[in-house]
Amino acid sequence: MGNKDAVRTLNEIFAEEVEAGIRYLHMAVTIKGMDRLVLQPELLKSMEETLSHARIIAEKLLEIGGVPSLDLRIELPGEMTTGQEAIRNSVEFERGALEAYKELMEDAAGDVRMEEFARAQIALESEHLAHFKLLLED
Amino acid sequence: MATQEIFEHEPVSHAVAHYLVTVSELLEEYGYARVSDVARRIGITRGSASITLKGLRQKGLVTEDGRRFLGLSDSGKQVAESVLAKRRIMKDLMVRVLGVDPKQAGKDTCEIEHLLSSETAERARLLLEFVDSGSKASRDFQRNFARFIAKRDRGSAHG
Repeated sequence: MGNKDAVRTLNEIFAEEVEAGIRYLHMAVTIKGMDRLVLQPELLKSMEETLSHARIIAEKLLEIGGVPSLDLRIELPGEMTTGQEAIRNSVEFERGALEAYKELMEDAAGDVRMEEFARAQIALESEHLAHFKLLLED
Repeated sequence: MATQEIFEHEPVSHAVAHYLVTVSELLEEYGYARVSDVARRIGITRGSASITLKGLRQKGLVTEDGRRFLGLSDSGKQVAESVLAKRRIMKDLMVRVLGVDPKQAGKDTCEIEHLLSSETAERARLLLEFVDSGSKASRDFQRNFARFIAKRDRGSAHG
């Protein structure tokens, strides 16, 4: 994997994680009803985990000689949300992050360190996604 | 599909039109479209694309198979084709008749293509048909309009 490609892909993943962190924060503060009691702590915890992933990516970028950069275009609805909708949306953007790491692993073929890094992140994201999917089950 | 039918669809937002056209273009170019392809083409994160596409699936405009490959439903296809047809016609009109720079025409078309009524799109198409007819009337029109613009441009240049 060329260095330029690695920097580009990692910056894409950096954007995924930072944006996910912002979305978790937004959902945590706009969740309504009894769901707020149960899910707000969960969403805030996810926000912290996601931003810590973003930091790991940023450090990785610096390690390979890149600079973390962001160009976020995010629209957040100006309305309250339900617990179900928050979890459904979480599943969607966690899937997005997982796909990004899987693409990193494919592109990193031959670069052992990058592959190992991607594999570790895939494991973390898969766990996170599975957790949210479980919350959607009846 | 008859021309009038091509232009008909339920009003959609700029964002919805953009997504449907992007999926349509990816399917045309590569034979498949994934969330990550749509995200890259539009210039947003996979997370954002995923959430918006979920909404479009719920509206019955986009489909997704078990492997997360995207498709357009019949109504999604209709909207995409309608928007693309209007885009082609309006861009053509702006560049060939109004003399607008193609790059600017591309940007302007993007802003209005999903808002145009079928009536306006059809009239624009007819105007292009008239321009392409090769008749004396259309040649005179093009020549006179070009002179009119040139005169105005000269007038502006002299202040």
